[in-house]
This record gives sequence, C-alpha cells and structure tokens, in this order.
Amino acid sequence: MQNRGFKKGLAVFWWLTLIFLYAPLLVVMVFSFNAINTSARWGGFSLRWYERLLNNDVVISAIGHTLLLAVISSIIAVILGAMIGYGLYRHRARRLGLLIVLIYLPIVMPDIVFGIADMAFFVQINRLTGLLSPGLSTMVIAHVTFQIPFVALIVYSRFVGLDATLFDAAKDLYASPWQRMLHFILPTLKPALLSAFFLSFTLSVDDFVISFFTAGPESATLPIYIWGAIRRGISPEINAIATLMIASVALVAVVSLLFNRRRA
Amino acid sequence: MAERSPTAAPDGPFQHRDSTQGANAGAAREASSINLKGIRKEYPGGVVALESVDLDIRAGEFFTLLGPSGCGKTTLLRMLAGLDEPSAGTLSIGGVDVTDTPPHKRSVNTVFQSYALFPHLSVRDNIAFGLKMRGMARSEREQKVVEIAEFIKLGSLVDRRVDQLSGGQRQRIALARALICEPDVLLLDEPLSALDAGLRSQLQVELLRTQKRLGMTFVFVTHDQEEAMVMSDRIAVLSDGIIQQIGTPQEVYERPANLFVARFMGHDNLFSISAREGMTVQTPIGALETEDHNEGKVALIRPETLELTSPGAPSVEPGKQLNTLMCRVVERFYRGSNVEYRLSHQSGEQHSELIAEISNTGERLFRVGDEVKVEIYPEDVIMLSDDEEGA
Repeated sequence: MQNRGFKKGLAVFWWLTLIFLYAPLLVVMVFSFNAINTSARWGGFSLRWYERLLNNDVVISAIGHTLLLAVISSIIAVILGAMIGYGLYRHRARRLGLLIVLIYLPIVMPDIVFGIADMAFFVQINRLTGLLSPGLSTMVIAHVTFQIPFVALIVYSRFVGLDATLFDAAKDLYASPWQRMLHFILPTLKPALLSAFFLSFTLSVDDFVISFFTAGPESATLPIYIWGAIRRGISPEINAIATLMIASVALVAVVSLLFNRRRA
Repeated sequence: MAERSPTAAPDGPFQHRDSTQGANAGAAREASSINLKGIRKEYPGGVVALESVDLDIRAGEFFTLLGPSGCGKTTLLRMLAGLDEPSAGTLSIGGVDVTDTPPHKRSVNTVFQSYALFPHLSVRDNIAFGLKMRGMARSEREQKVVEIAEFIKLGSLVDRRVDQLSGGQRQRIALARALICEPDVLLLDEPLSALDAGLRSQLQVELLRTQKRLGMTFVFVTHDQEEAMVMSDRIAVLSDGIIQQIGTPQEVYERPANLFVARFMGHDNLFSISAREGMTVQTPIGALETEDHNEGKVALIRPETLELTSPGAPSVEPGKQLNTLMCRVVERFYRGSNVEYRLSHQSGEQHSELIAEISNTGERLFRVGDEVKVEIYPEDVIMLSDDEEGA
C-alpha cells in the first residue's frame, strides 16, 4: 500500500533533520580551515587560525579556566548529587512531592534567572564578609548548583532500577554500613557516577549565561572569550575555537556512551 | 593443587566456627534453636503484620512458615535475619538474645526469593562476599569457594557471570553464598517459587538432602502447602499475623486445627454442623457418627477417606458401624494414580456435593450417572472450629 512511500518519506525527513542539526556546525568546522580572513568564500586550506590560537595567551588561559572549572565543579556535583540521589531513593516511600519539584526546578529554570540570582547572592555575601569575590570559586559554586539535579536524577534512577533486596543481602552477608558503601553501593553506582560526571562536564563546558554573570575579570572561560571576541566580528579564529569545542564535547559524549553500552 | 596439610584439614566448609573438633564436613555442626516470645510487628499507620507470636524452632529442624501472601510469614523471616525490627517481644537464636542485634552481626544467612546476587560481582565473588566482609584472607576464601562448589556440585558455574545464569543456577549460587558463611540458621524466603515445576521438585529434594547432611536449622517460607509438607519436619501455618497451627506435616494435614488451616491445606468436603447429640452431628448430608470429642462448627471428611461401592455391595468393614449415604456420580476426573469423583447427595430438600478421591487399584471405575454407596469411618469425621476471619 502507501506503506513504502511513507517509509521513504520518513527517511527523507530523518536526513533533513540531521542536516538541519549539523549543517551549521559543518560550516563552522570547514571555514576554520579557510586560508583567508572571511567566512564568505573559500580561499584554500590552511591551519593558520589554529596556529594563531595556540599563540594567543588569552585563549589558552580561557581553555584552562574552562577545563579546570568543568573538572572541579563536576567532581563536587557528582559527590553532592549522588548523596541527594541516594537520599531520594532511601526515602522514596515517603511523600517526596515538594522535594522532587525542588530538585527538578533548576533544570527547567531559565539560566539567566539563575545567573542573575547567583550574581546578586555572591555580591551580597562579598559585601558582608569579603569572601566570594567574583572568580573561579563563584563560578564553581554556580556550576555545581545547576549540575547537581542531573547527577541526583541519574543516581536515583540507577537505584530505582536495582533489586531492593540487594541492600538486604549485603546486610545479611555481614557487611557493616561502611562496607556496604565500599563493596556494594559504590561499585554498583560506578557506571551511573561516570555518566553523571561526563554529563556535568559537558554542561559546564557548554554554559555561557551562568558563567557570564558569576565570572571575575581573571576567570573568563572559552564561551565568555568567544562572546567578547564576536563583538568584533566573526573571525575564522572563532571558527577554530568552536571546532575544538565541538570535537572535545563529541569525544566526551562518545566516551560516556561507550561506558553506558558496556554497562548494558 | 597442593596437598593440604593435616592441620589445614579441619577448615572444612561446614564445620561450625566454635567447634574445636576437626571432624569431616557436615558432621560436627552444632545446630541452633530459635525462640520467639510475644513477637509483634506493627507498622506506622496501624497495620499489624504479626500479632504476639510465640514460637520455638528446634535445633537442626527443617521448619516451614506456611501461609497466604500477607499473612506475616516473610515479616517473621526478616525479623530472624534482623532486617525488620519487632515492635515488641524477644527473639533468641541458640539461646542468645539477638532482638537488638543488627543483621550484619547475626550468624544468620538468607536465600532471598529474587536470589539478590550482586550484579557487579562475578559468581565467585558473590559466593565469597560474606567471608570477605568478615575479613577472611583471599587465599582462604578461595579455598572455601572450591569446597562449597564441590559440596553443592556447582561445577563450572563459579566461572560464569551472574547474567549468564538461569533461574535454577542462580538459586544454587544464592544457596552456596549463604551456606559458605556457616550460619547458625539458614533462612529461605520462597527460594523455589520462581522456578518451573520439574526443576522445582528436583531442587526440593536437593535442598532437603543438604539440610539433612548439614544438620543445620533451616527456616523456610512458602505459600505452597505441598512443598511445605514434602520438605518440613514441622510447619507453622500463619494467617493474619497469627499462628493458626504448629505441627508435623501429617498433623497439620490430617488434623487441621481450624477451618482456615483445612481450607489452606486444600481440603474439600467441609459441612457445617447444625446440631450435636453425643457423638452424632447433624450436617447437610444427614446425621454423621464421629469419634472426635472436640466441639466444632464444621465437619471435615477428607476426600481420600471416602469408601465407594456399588449400592448392593456389602459394607467395606461389616463388623463396624460406618456412616453410609447414597450419592450419584456427577463428574469423574481420571488422574492415573487416583480417580476423583464429584458426587451429589440429596437429603430431603438439601442438595450437597461431595468429593471422593479413590486410589486407582485397577478395579472397575464408576461412570457419570452411576448411583454409588459412600461409606465413611466415624474416625474420619473431624470437627473443626470456625475461628477464622474472612478467608
């Protein structure tokens, strides 16, 4: 019947979607290798923009800030988020309605609201105590706050998918509370914690809005640098930075996918 | 493998930790008794799972907690493991009060219904988990795993991954994981209920032989009365958090304490008693002679105790006064070793149905529509109290 035509139509739709999603990225990546200083036409292959990037100290330090912020905030978020996820699981029998909403809220809240709120909060703290002047520390705290819900939900769903009797079995087999943590809960959670870390890492590298409101003069990350640079026009150098970011995020995504697949 | 030195020999898999004698595996165990006094469990919200349970389980006994779901049998088992705390009452194992002892400090192990094998560990590490938690050295643990694998005939299963095991194999690994710890008491929470019938009866036999060989106290939970009868030295029948009867399988089956137990053991032919005079009771199938001196509201006549003959035939035991009634065959179910007849009985306006189970001795079978003479020995008319609720 029309079934074949329908399937063909679906395939076309699928490819159109992919093109729609990835064509802009492809353009950026191609023009990062452009020999001339424009994104309007192709002037031959060249690595000069990458060379210039490597010699740009501001860019190098922005990359450093980005990675440092992503690693530190992800580690903290995984630890705190895992504790929340475990708590949610342990008390799942109670009515957790409001608590669940409070956990979900940062996920749906617009970044700009969070960014402005964080900034205002840190300014107040700084005014009163002299602590938390804008810089890496405020950015870490801000990033951790938006990473935690994702970690908590990943850990919680891992626990929910687990046979609850396993907790009893560990107790029954002489494991003390600490041994249960070390020999049962942590090893069981390992794949979930790794996925949570990779997700937090990507979210952090990805973030511009919240970073923008909480950064200090010395702690600009790559997205902030790009935003600043772009006001002077889109240069092929920006294309090169973007290409590097796409590559690294893709790498992290693939690695976390492989971890998930091995677990399944 | 290196030859074991004589001093290492006493470390057999099933030698009790406290025992100082180096006897062979299984022989030197000193089994533990279990005593429960006034055990009560009430959940927040007022749901009572157990109502003041008193129970003494003997050392070395295969003891079964039998009852429908929600009767409290699993709660009771979890209390023995320490996974649930009683709201009131005391619990001692081997004469030691363990009411407030946390589960990881009790010498009790459980085979869970879902088996609860750790997915992040190999089969070998699953089996050795309890020993590792107790701080046993790796080389010693490995030796123990080899011994238990031989004892339960696990063969190459120990080298597999948990997700490569079938249900029956998981069950045996779970058993090995519990037994390797040489607990005072082994608890089994419906360990066979997830298996198909053939495998199930095979593992029943294996489990029973293992228990007899070890002489360890086993507490078994099931809702299957046949399984309970096959396995147990004694059975406690539970309903609504109350122990209805404790006894050997024969006692519970042949002399159920009340209507609930009789129904749960699968008995048919229950007739309400309208009046009693001496040893004669009035029932819907007429007046019946009994030898049961107990007062009761219901008469039970187990289907396999009925004697069926043709209407004109002489009594099966002419010297004895038997209850005799005439019935008609309504249905016949041929089961090979026995034949079940559904009989209808008319007593005035009163119509009743009886079930007779006759062992198949090769004699002529009755046909549907045949009139038959039913004879019932007075000692087979059993009085039951009607103290059950609901059911």
